[in-house]
Amino acid sequence: MDVIEVKGLAKRYPADFLGRKKTVAVDGITFAITSGETFGFLGPNGAGKTTTIRMLMSLIAPSAGTARIFGDPVPSRRARARVGFLPEAPYFYDYLTVTELCDLAGRIFGLDRATRRRRAEELIERVGLSHARKRPIRKYSKGMLQRAGIAQALMNDPDLVVLDEPTSGLDPVGRREVSDIIADLRRAKKTVFFSSHILADVEQICDRVAIVVGGKIRDIGTVAEVSRRDAAVATDVVLDVAAIADDVKEELRAGAGSHRHQGDDLVLTVEPGADTSALIARAIDAGAAVRRVTPKTPTLEDVFLRRVRESRVQREEKS
Amino acid sequence: MSSASPIVESGGRIYAIALNTLREARRHRVIHGIAAAAVAVNLFAMFLGDMSLGNEARVAVDVGLAGVSFFGSITAIVIGVMLLYSELERRTIHTVASKPIARWELVVGKYLGMVLTLTLLLLLFTAAMLVLLWARDVALTSVLVRSLVLVWLEVIVMAGVALLFSSFSTPFLSGMMALAIFLIGRTTPDLAAAAERADVGLVRWVSEAALYIVPDLHLFSPSGRPVAGDAVLSIHGNFVSWAYVGSAAGYAALVIIAVVGLAAVILSRRDFS
Repeated sequence: MDVIEVKGLAKRYPADFLGRKKTVAVDGITFAITSGETFGFLGPNGAGKTTTIRMLMSLIAPSAGTARIFGDPVPSRRARARVGFLPEAPYFYDYLTVTELCDLAGRIFGLDRATRRRRAEELIERVGLSHARKRPIRKYSKGMLQRAGIAQALMNDPDLVVLDEPTSGLDPVGRREVSDIIADLRRAKKTVFFSSHILADVEQICDRVAIVVGGKIRDIGTVAEVSRRDAAVATDVVLDVAAIADDVKEELRAGAGSHRHQGDDLVLTVEPGADTSALIARAIDAGAAVRRVTPKTPTLEDVFLRRVRESRVQREEKS
Repeated sequence: MSSASPIVESGGRIYAIALNTLREARRHRVIHGIAAAAVAVNLFAMFLGDMSLGNEARVAVDVGLAGVSFFGSITAIVIGVMLLYSELERRTIHTVASKPIARWELVVGKYLGMVLTLTLLLLLFTAAMLVLLWARDVALTSVLVRSLVLVWLEVIVMAGVALLFSSFSTPFLSGMMALAIFLIGRTTPDLAAAAERADVGLVRWVSEAALYIVPDLHLFSPSGRPVAGDAVLSIHGNFVSWAYVGSAAGYAALVIIAVVGLAAVILSRRDFS
């Protein structure tokens, strides 16, 4: 069964009384997440990731479409009882200690006192905040705050964990700590849905990803599938150009999408669709030696950046 | 998860929010300032008592009760407009509202936390007043207790009104609107008189509309109010009965249910962006 099932979900904010134009934050997205999956919601700032998550968490009402969590239509309190949620840039009651924060979460989840104490103890230990358990949250660093947020989100031992930008704003150590916690959840067969604009995190942790740009899902699949999606890939042509004239070098550079120098060699990156064979033939004719011709393996980053560019072009064309 | 009944579970969630609201209110410096001012007024009342030649007891009771009422209502407005708004503004509400809690439980918990805070503050204000009365050799009578219960009712009604405004407005606007309700609500007899005597139709209509919409807070401060013919309610003599306090409590409960219920409806339709 799908843990999360989203169909045509949209959030539009109407024009305000000054006549400023309406905003489409999420534009009819559809996706599903199955049990035990770690699913990354990848997109640039303002792509609609947080709005989607807030709709799933019943914090904002959708303008259109439906969403189901564990088969229950959102908003559903029954479904939320099985979900642990870390909001984006979380602001907790900063006068509480992490123990009190976990206790508050446990009370709302309806846990009895003994269970609350035991779970809070375990989770604080697990997120590495035992040394700071008596310190008010306002004295925490950003990384500690995220970990406190994860601890309170796990108080109900949730089947689904939703993390909105859990690594945003963290230093490499903080990011690693949060990634390790997500990896633990994955090992524990929890379903994890998290948003990020940090590609490395998504690439390392996720079973599947969705690329969201401009409120729409532009691509979805495993990291390998998404990376391979564009059959046409750029090709790097490495040439020894010591023997050829400057004007021919200029001609070759102009024929490629981009270029760089590697020692005495010229590396031409030929974009998909361009005639690589013709460019190589011209170089050989001019006396260049071809050292290597390498089709570039697209990374998630390549695909992500391409989707962002495509979305921008579409928007410009529309406007 | 516990296997308690839904009502007990709901009560547990409301209690958790109320307790957290009390914790939050305890930290607000504005509230510390109001509490300090309330104590200062009682000291001032001691000085006034010295100047009131033979009326020390009456002045002490008057000023003491007025102080508890005034500072209680101001605190109610401040707490009412600040606590919910700051949750929305600082997005602390995201952590709570994403859990299995109904929006109405959130509002009721918030309100009960405010009531708890205000009750503790009124006890503090009352303690300060009792010190003043003790200094003037005035005993704590049941008349005084009844008047304090009425003050408490007025204060918790005002907290509900302020909470309602803060469910859709900014603290400043909410504060202004709540203050307007407080002032109009306190002068309902004058408003009724204005409606009766008004020659201009619009004045009569506005006055009557205000009487219907605004809670009658004068019910909770009946000093010198003529009722039932010649009888005059007074906090110094033949004071209102416990039956009167009971009916005032019933009225307060209805107003509270209406305003807190309306706040819950507004908040349940609101996006927590």
